[in-house]
Amino acid sequence: MKNIKYILLALCIVSIWSCKPEEFGPIGPEQNILKELQGTWALSKVTQIDQDASTKGFPYKELDITNVYAYKDLVVAFQGETSGTPTSFTITPGNSPKISDFNTGTWTVDNAKAPTVITLKNGTASSDLTLGSYAGLRSGKFYLKKVRKSNGKIIVSYQYEFTKK
Amino acid sequence: MKKLILSIIFILSAAFAFAQSNPSFSPATFTAEDEVTITLDVTGTGMAGQDDVYLWMFSNDGVGGGKDALTNGQWGSSSESAKMTKIGPNKFTYKFIATTLFGQSPAELINFGFLGKSKDGTKQTIDYKPFKFDPLVFTAAQFRIFPSKLDATDMSTVYFHQNLATDQNLQRMFDVKVNLTFYNEANAVVGSKTAIVAVKESTSVYAYSFIPDRVITVPAGTKLSKFTYQFTGSVKDANGANVPTTGPVNEVVYTVFN
Repeated sequence: MKNIKYILLALCIVSIWSCKPEEFGPIGPEQNILKELQGTWALSKVTQIDQDASTKGFPYKELDITNVYAYKDLVVAFQGETSGTPTSFTITPGNSPKISDFNTGTWTVDNAKAPTVITLKNGTASSDLTLGSYAGLRSGKFYLKKVRKSNGKIIVSYQYEFTKK
Repeated sequence: MKKLILSIIFILSAAFAFAQSNPSFSPATFTAEDEVTITLDVTGTGMAGQDDVYLWMFSNDGVGGGKDALTNGQWGSSSESAKMTKIGPNKFTYKFIATTLFGQSPAELINFGFLGKSKDGTKQTIDYKPFKFDPLVFTAAQFRIFPSKLDATDMSTVYFHQNLATDQNLQRMFDVKVNLTFYNEANAVVGSKTAIVAVKESTSVYAYSFIPDRVITVPAGTKLSKFTYQFTGSVKDANGANVPTTGPVNEVVYTVFN
């Protein structure tokens, strides 16, 4: 009887000690976002967003401006190593209004596994673009967002939808 | 000679920079419910060299429904709550929330102005006015711009909502066109384009989208500070003939993004 008490106590200690967080791997094969971003992408849709109007709940929050000018002429090519590490990029604007101040340079991301910001660099100049949902990457779509700020407050933004060529 | 030219350029640049930034506001854009800090440099004004500067503030200059700030006190004896904080030689700051300061609702407040003065009112600066509040409530209007704040590199779309027009000619106007004029920082016309055919988006809405450098040639080094737009068109006279008609000229000042 005395032993049962000790056995139960030992079982409790072992049970508690064995409780530890378990790391679960990704469901399905791990997605290499950087690898999937590599390639040539054509601009397929441009949406202008009035962030101030959105914040205040005003009507007229966004506008599809794709067909105002030849935005669909613009093509961007992201190059990288086979591991996925980004290297260079090229923007071929055609007759499209510019979406970046420079058309060639290097690109980097803030997080290799789950990037949210793509930084385009050319010498000392750089331009940050926010990466949208990865959901469309495998079906050949990805989204970039450019924000325009005044004293840290986002006033206007542009959402660019790209389609893989 | 070279030194003289450089000196003139330097003085002009300094004067221009001063004119651009005084008074300054933090944040740069604000609603009537935001806390705003005014920074005022009184150099070259009647208050230069003074240690104590009091604000005399007023709302809705030139648009009706204006009030003096509740903190003003009497002209000959300013209230201590209107006193600015000295942050350096000739430099002062003051923090306020407009709805509290004027005792008016956000819907009532359109703009404000102020001057700096001595407590007894014997010395003062010029009037600084009017400074617009960002609207908190959307008000439908016959003319509008999208987005509401933008700079010269942004896509701009000007709209004419004919169903909201109050003028009879504008209500009846057809063959709607747009005139655009762009200005530099010295307020000089850089370029204009007239009679651009507006897009009829619905039975009562006309619009035109553009990026300035696709409409006019902007010389290298020129910075656009604002543009004006005007909708024009035709109406029928008593004999059924087309008569040209024009709407008002609307001004859009570009926001400085940083």
